[in-house]
Amino acid sequence: MEISTLVQLLIGGLLLGAVYALAAAGLNLIFGVMRVVNFAHGDLMMLGAYVAFWLYTLAGLNPLVSLLATVPLLFLLGWGLQRWLVDRVVGQPPLMSLILLWGVSLVIINAALFLWTSNSRSVPAFSGGIELGGLSISRSRGIAFVAAIAITGAVWLFLQRSRWGKAIRATAQSSEMALVCGIDVARVRHITFGLAAAMAGAAGNLIVFIFAVSPVVGPTFMLKSFAIIVIGGLGSFQGALVGALVVGVIESFSAYVLNSQVSEAIVYFALILFLLARPNGLLGARL
Amino acid sequence: MIAVSSLRPTTTRGAIGLAVGVAILAALAVVPFVLPSYRTALFVLTFMYITLASSWNIISGYTGYVSFGHAAFFGLGAYSAALLMIRLSVHWILACIAGGLLAAVVAVPLGFILLRLRGPYFAISMLGLSAALQIVASSWTPMTRGGSGLSLPPTLNLVESYFAMALSMLVVLFVSYLIITSRYGLRLIAIREDEGAAESMGINTTAHKVSAFVISAFFPGLVGGVYAWYLAYIDPTSVFRPILSIDMIIMSMFGGAGTVFGPVIGGVVLTAIAEAFWARLPELHQAVFGVLVIIIVLFMPGGVMNLLRTRGLLPRNWRI
Amino acid sequence: MSRRISSLGTTAALLLVLIVTACARPATPATGSQPAPVTQAGPIRIGASISLTGQYARTGRELLNGYQFWMEQANAKGGVLNRQVQFVTYDDESDPETAAKLYEKLISEDKVDVIIGPYSTAVTLAASTVTEKHRYPMIVSGASGTDIWARGYKYVFGTYTMAPFYMDGAIDIAKKNGYRTVALINENGAFSKDVVAAAEKKAKEAGLDVIYTEEYTKDVRDLTPTLTKIRAANADVLIAGTYGDDATLIVRQLKDLNWTPKLVALTIGPALPDFTEALGTDAEYVFGATQWEPNIKAPGVSEFATAYNAKFGHMPGYHAAGGYGSAQLLQQGLEKVGSVDNQKLRDALASMNTTTAFGAFKVDDTGSQTAKPSYLIQILGGERKLVWPDAAAESAASIPMPGWNQRS
Repeated sequence: MEISTLVQLLIGGLLLGAVYALAAAGLNLIFGVMRVVNFAHGDLMMLGAYVAFWLYTLAGLNPLVSLLATVPLLFLLGWGLQRWLVDRVVGQPPLMSLILLWGVSLVIINAALFLWTSNSRSVPAFSGGIELGGLSISRSRGIAFVAAIAITGAVWLFLQRSRWGKAIRATAQSSEMALVCGIDVARVRHITFGLAAAMAGAAGNLIVFIFAVSPVVGPTFMLKSFAIIVIGGLGSFQGALVGALVVGVIESFSAYVLNSQVSEAIVYFALILFLLARPNGLLGARL
Repeated sequence: MIAVSSLRPTTTRGAIGLAVGVAILAALAVVPFVLPSYRTALFVLTFMYITLASSWNIISGYTGYVSFGHAAFFGLGAYSAALLMIRLSVHWILACIAGGLLAAVVAVPLGFILLRLRGPYFAISMLGLSAALQIVASSWTPMTRGGSGLSLPPTLNLVESYFAMALSMLVVLFVSYLIITSRYGLRLIAIREDEGAAESMGINTTAHKVSAFVISAFFPGLVGGVYAWYLAYIDPTSVFRPILSIDMIIMSMFGGAGTVFGPVIGGVVLTAIAEAFWARLPELHQAVFGVLVIIIVLFMPGGVMNLLRTRGLLPRNWRI
Repeated sequence: MSRRISSLGTTAALLLVLIVTACARPATPATGSQPAPVTQAGPIRIGASISLTGQYARTGRELLNGYQFWMEQANAKGGVLNRQVQFVTYDDESDPETAAKLYEKLISEDKVDVIIGPYSTAVTLAASTVTEKHRYPMIVSGASGTDIWARGYKYVFGTYTMAPFYMDGAIDIAKKNGYRTVALINENGAFSKDVVAAAEKKAKEAGLDVIYTEEYTKDVRDLTPTLTKIRAANADVLIAGTYGDDATLIVRQLKDLNWTPKLVALTIGPALPDFTEALGTDAEYVFGATQWEPNIKAPGVSEFATAYNAKFGHMPGYHAAGGYGSAQLLQQGLEKVGSVDNQKLRDALASMNTTTAFGAFKVDDTGSQTAKPSYLIQILGGERKLVWPDAAAESAASIPMPGWNQRS
């Protein structure tokens, strides 16, 4: 294996990792604030991808511009899911919300299959590679990387600086104390889910010009996001980033060293390994 | 642990119940000779689903460790039995039992490892396991012929398949009943309700969890083998597919997880619905299941059995 | 007392739902059957399951189009054996188990007169087990995996050129142009493995060096590592056993890597119109194996293609042609026998030597197709052009494949 190939794969994995990080950070947010595992997270990504696809196919809209549509639409969907469904199982064991969201996932997947068929869709924008010193960087991944970092950065700033961002972080630390401090915890939950859904949708929007997407890809993305936050550290925003980069690189490398089939299985095994051996993940947050 | 003689009915109500049960069994016994083969095939699949749902119920309903990937054991059993039949010409009954035993044996170390995870983590890691096993089956070509699948000699004996599935179903239901009416079952329920308290009461939670897990793995493995023999062709997609795991969960939850008859009700009703739907609206069949899950979680988490109990249609002290 | 009975009754009733379901009216067929004017003995009913949803939905739909188009034409000409023909079809959801269940239903419950094949090797494998049991001959109209005929069955008849011949053209062209190294990858389903296994053997026999092989799962999302390895090995030729999505993925990711081998040959993908739609000009110069093209010079082909185009607004792909030709074959078989008798039909099909709009038909004693040749197309000017074999070619192959930067 020559060095240039190694570097190329590393870069490819890192670029993709940023998009995964965006989605995983969203999943992490929901978990941190509400101790809910959003089983439908991957399906929200899928919906974001389809928004971008249809805007591109029907209106020729640049997939980066379609983010302006994807983000608010998915935010509203997430807000609605929390307000009318997930709110009702708050306080019950986390398993109930998991199963509830799993039901939601089934509905979303099959509605999508019914409306849009099982054909894979992709947006052939930004194709080709850029030559940089003997390496070729996939243009679509490069652009997606920049967009993903920008969005993730914006969310981070929001969480750090804005009032609602701080309210979210406070509720994540302790919802009872937040309530005592006068924070509208119910509103926080709605906003959190909406924000996470918007992040998932944005990630999907970016993914669709890198890979092809079909209605059934949700669970795979959800498993991957879950693996990322476990490896990176549940409840830690930076952890999601680190975990995503790690997973992106593991995927690329194992596909190269072994074969592409095994690389998918490896991520699952890594997930289980971390759950058992190091449940706090790499950045050691609380479980 | 259980004296079988204690099962002999002592009340009139019990005797009537037994008579009804025997009548149903007799009816089921003549089905393959009376109904056309397509309808009989429907029964075969229903029995299989009831068996799967009932096995899931043992680890998830009774013990509270909800598994999202129980199809893993079905696939394991299917492949093991198929390989035994093809490579070593083992008789199908033995091969299926071996399939079940292999799944059970694999469940031992898996149980020790995975049952250390709680709630959603266990659920998702089982999902991951099922997905990973599907990948293994697709890639381990020298053993499993990968995506091409395995073709078995087509004996296509509907009658034998029918009775094999029926017997598996009756056995697992009986085992379910034995568990729930025993102290072992009570301890499983204790683990489900509050594992910490159960441990502090001196229950060996690990031994109980793992043994429940192993029992719940045997039956899917067993019927996986029968499935392979009956269909005469399996491939990684058909035996590890997620919808199998989904069906098991929904059937049990709908009927009433944690009860003996819950999986039966769920299996019967939902197979009937699926049968009515897939001929007309195949994509909506799963969507309907999704809506059903949402309704169950929000409005009837105890399933039909619990609904019947709270309405007084079923005596609450009946441990079924 | 009444409460006790009612609770017992409820329990018993719930279990008896099963029996009730069994006696309920069967669901009516969902698609494809059209009411036909009843002639003397009533219509001849042909049963099949088609993949209308699931991973084969795209090509399953084409197959159904082929069947239905044939049915309209045949009925307009008076039907078969002076009876109208009618299809009874269900959606098998691209699932082998469902297909087996459906063929069981078609034969024992719907009591169709004859049956015809579904789409894909995996589905056909399961379905043909059922039809073999009932001794209904199946014309395999949408599959070519060799496993189907390796089981010693007597009631399966292939129409497609068998999978092992798909890449003959690519290897021939590679050899003629003096290429040395070949990389072979495939999706790990039955059909693709067949294609590539045979291609590997033939490549070696032709004196080429097979420098890389790999299998991937059908929902693979990223083949960049694989293609990177192939680029590093400097392969002249890339042959891949693909379906639709992975074919598109390979071309797209080759572009991302800014590299092409000198020859890229894929299966299934390039023969579908979606390929050029999804890739645009990037699809140019890609070779594809095909069973059939509308421009083949053979009897019946252009009539079928023109009429199909007139009705559907686009030229038929080989999946539709396969459906049409198989149905024609069924008609020829029934007419040769003179009656609707499955045993005699079986014997007739085993010995027939004939042609349909799909191509030549003659099977060996396992039922495998032996007479139909394979063809190779290349995407040139945004269209599929037949380039091999030379006798049937309408264009010369454009070789080698220009690099991405060298295209206009």
